[in-house]
Amino acid sequence: MAQEEIFTQEALDSFRAEVRRWVEQNRPPDPGFVLPQTMLSVTTDDQFTYLRDWQAKVYDAGFVGVEWPVEYGGGGRPRGYQRVVDQEMSRAGVPFLINLVGLAWAGPVILAYGTEAQKQRFIMKALRADEIWCQGFSEPSAGSDLASLQTRAVRNGDEWAVSGHKVWTSLGRYAHQMILLARTDPDAQKHAGISFFLAPMKIEGIEVAPLTKLTGEGGFNQIFFDDARFPAERLLGQEGQGWEIALATLGFERGASDGAAGGRSDVYSYDIGALIELARETVRDGRPALEDPSVRDRIARFATEAVAMRFSRLRTRIPGLVADRPMALPLMAKVESSEHLQRLADYGCELQGYAGSLTKGDPAAVDEGEWQRFYLNTYSMTIAGGTSEIVRNILGEKVLGLPKTR
Amino acid sequence: MSALDSISTRLAYTEDQALLRDEARRMLATRSSIEAVRALHPDPVGDDPAVWSELAQLGWLGLLASEEHGGAGLGAVEFAILAEEAGRTLLPTPLLAHVLAAKVVDVGGSAAQRATWLPPLAAGGLRASWAHVEVGGTWRVDDTTVEEEGGRLHGTKAFVWAAETADVFCLPVRVDGEVRIALVRRDAVGLHVQGEAGLDRTRRQGRIVLDGAAPEALLERPASEVEAAILPLAWTALAAESVGGATAALDLTAAYAATREQFGKPIGAFQAIKHPLVNVLIATEQARSLVYAAACAIDQGNDDAVLLARMAKAGSADAYGFATSRAIQFHGGFGFTEDCDAHLYRRRALASRPALGDPDHHRARIADQILGARAP
Ligand SMILES: Cc1cc2nc3c(=O)[nH]c(=O)nc-3n(C[C@H](O)[C@H](O)[C@H](O)COP(=O)(O)OP(=O)(O)OC[C@H]3O[C@@H](n4cnc5c(N)ncnc54)[C@H](O)[C@@H]3O)c2cc1C
Repeated sequence: MAQEEIFTQEALDSFRAEVRRWVEQNRPPDPGFVLPQTMLSVTTDDQFTYLRDWQAKVYDAGFVGVEWPVEYGGGGRPRGYQRVVDQEMSRAGVPFLINLVGLAWAGPVILAYGTEAQKQRFIMKALRADEIWCQGFSEPSAGSDLASLQTRAVRNGDEWAVSGHKVWTSLGRYAHQMILLARTDPDAQKHAGISFFLAPMKIEGIEVAPLTKLTGEGGFNQIFFDDARFPAERLLGQEGQGWEIALATLGFERGASDGAAGGRSDVYSYDIGALIELARETVRDGRPALEDPSVRDRIARFATEAVAMRFSRLRTRIPGLVADRPMALPLMAKVESSEHLQRLADYGCELQGYAGSLTKGDPAAVDEGEWQRFYLNTYSMTIAGGTSEIVRNILGEKVLGLPKTR
Repeated sequence: MSALDSISTRLAYTEDQALLRDEARRMLATRSSIEAVRALHPDPVGDDPAVWSELAQLGWLGLLASEEHGGAGLGAVEFAILAEEAGRTLLPTPLLAHVLAAKVVDVGGSAAQRATWLPPLAAGGLRASWAHVEVGGTWRVDDTTVEEEGGRLHGTKAFVWAAETADVFCLPVRVDGEVRIALVRRDAVGLHVQGEAGLDRTRRQGRIVLDGAAPEALLERPASEVEAAILPLAWTALAAESVGGATAALDLTAAYAATREQFGKPIGAFQAIKHPLVNVLIATEQARSLVYAAACAIDQGNDDAVLLARMAKAGSADAYGFATSRAIQFHGGFGFTEDCDAHLYRRRALASRPALGDPDHHRARIADQILGARAP
């Protein structure tokens, strides 16, 4: 008996055709302004509104939360269907889904740890982008060492009161809700004193200050909490269970856990196919760069990596093929895919020669400078959600059994 | 991934395949431990006849041969499984050489030839090897310089696995301007074997000089057709073996790094050790994904097989080299000794890298396949 995908291929193929047809007929109009490359860099109100409307439209068509429970607004379909949607959206080059934090990180942990009331309250609004989510984990002095966070939440009767300082908060300016980590017991051991909240953003005592990114775009924010108060039922799970839920969230964020409601979290539209196109268009020594043996070798390397990643992803679903190190593939996916894209983007810039020194706004910039923006943006993937170095520590310790680094 | 969009191979792995892996791992751990492998170093033959018999009894010597001729009739996934396990323990028994040679006969032989040769090959009474590499290192059947003239063979083949122990060789020869596969017995008059001083003592190799030896048979199908069927399998098997070896080298090094202490802590706590080992893990797991993708493509008769098998061969050779280089380095002074197992794996990796095309070779062909050939 083969341990294959549980869905039938025919059903999936016909679903794919349905998605493809819908996307072709409902491709959103050119906005007339530059869109960000991912949800991390949403800077202007126009961008925000355009992207939010798009997600609502995709949801109304039935293509967000495809595998999530029907009772909370999902599609109730078996595993494998959401990936088809993500692939088709990516293939068609339509905009991404803006509410990534809601779809891929907050939503799954609410489904896993939330009360019935919390699921009813938050899930469907997240799917439809009626409520945008952000993530309040990092602090100025608690990044990689997240568990050292200092933001305090104090219980006063039916309320929590929060004071502290969060940073690097993507979408913080637009978000309605935040998954928030705060210390509820300063006397407990570091990890044990943390709780996990579903905090409202548009309340008194919360101030949002935007930051500018290395690409010149916005998207990041600092969030200042000064005695911000919200009801007790905003606690997710138990008091002191925050670290456990945070780790579960990071599992989703790093792509190590399945279950997102969509959002193409790891898909920039630049990949090996784009690199090949670029090499075809680029002239080197009077010929297409694609004819240069050293360029061909580099492309073959990237292609080999890309195909290996694809089959690694498929292999995680076949227990017999991951029996020796079941955690290796899910944990390594983020490091491998982010660093692959970073190398690929870097090479894309290099291939352009002198033109690679231009950026957006210069008429001679290749592809309007998108490769350069993409390259700079790839650091979001190697830093956010646990840096490559931290993930390597985890792999070394959890998978190879090496002693802890202190 | 526009250029690679058409890849449609499905991964699959059955319960029986999982059982085969478990059985192979158990058997090889007891019968071909690294100590036993080392003990064979000075041995003139280089492999243990008792292990050969056991492999025969398990049906693994006839793994790919048709069932009607006594083979197990299994496929590329099973071959990859056995090769991976054999690679872990550096099994000196020439399992790969024999299984591939038997497959050459199966693919290339007429009904009568298959009926004659396959049963003893599958049962292991007759040991075979595939002798296709030239002294200069070219290895395609069309590169052969061995000539047939009046029923006699003249020429030399080199880098032949198990040259001194195989009973029969499959080798490409020119017959009236056409390349065919000849079967020649090692004890034929006019055939001389010279052992080569191999870097890897766990896989013996040698040269075959043909000075008028008469072939037992010329396989019916043209050599190029046989080669086309064999190469993806051979690349995949070698890749699987390399992935097994890389995994063993990684396990060895990780275990050492977890216990060897310097500066008051295990060296594995230093990121200068930990992170490269994680990079080895990633490279090895990526290569393993390619190996099983290639094997499934072959078994599904999918057109992706050649591309995936080349990727697997290139990726696994790089991963094996990386894993074994770090294995020596991270054992420190001990890593520089003959006693440390790291160099055994390093030697195998170095010796396997050129076999049937090194990574540069395969990447050039991968590029041709996905980008189209270069303009002249
Ligand atoms: C684009 C982007 C979006 C983000 N969005 C959000 C968000 O929405 N919400 C949120 O909460 N956070 C967000 N982050 C924050 C992100 O999670 C942190 O930046 C990240 O965890 C690293 O923390 P840090 O910035 O404090 O760097 P540090 O922890 O100070 O790290 C600095 C360097 O030291 C290295 N380092 C640290 N510790 C070790 C160690 N033990 N071993 C080896 N190397 C080490 C790191 O790898 C890094 O290279 C975002 C970050 C980026 C880049």
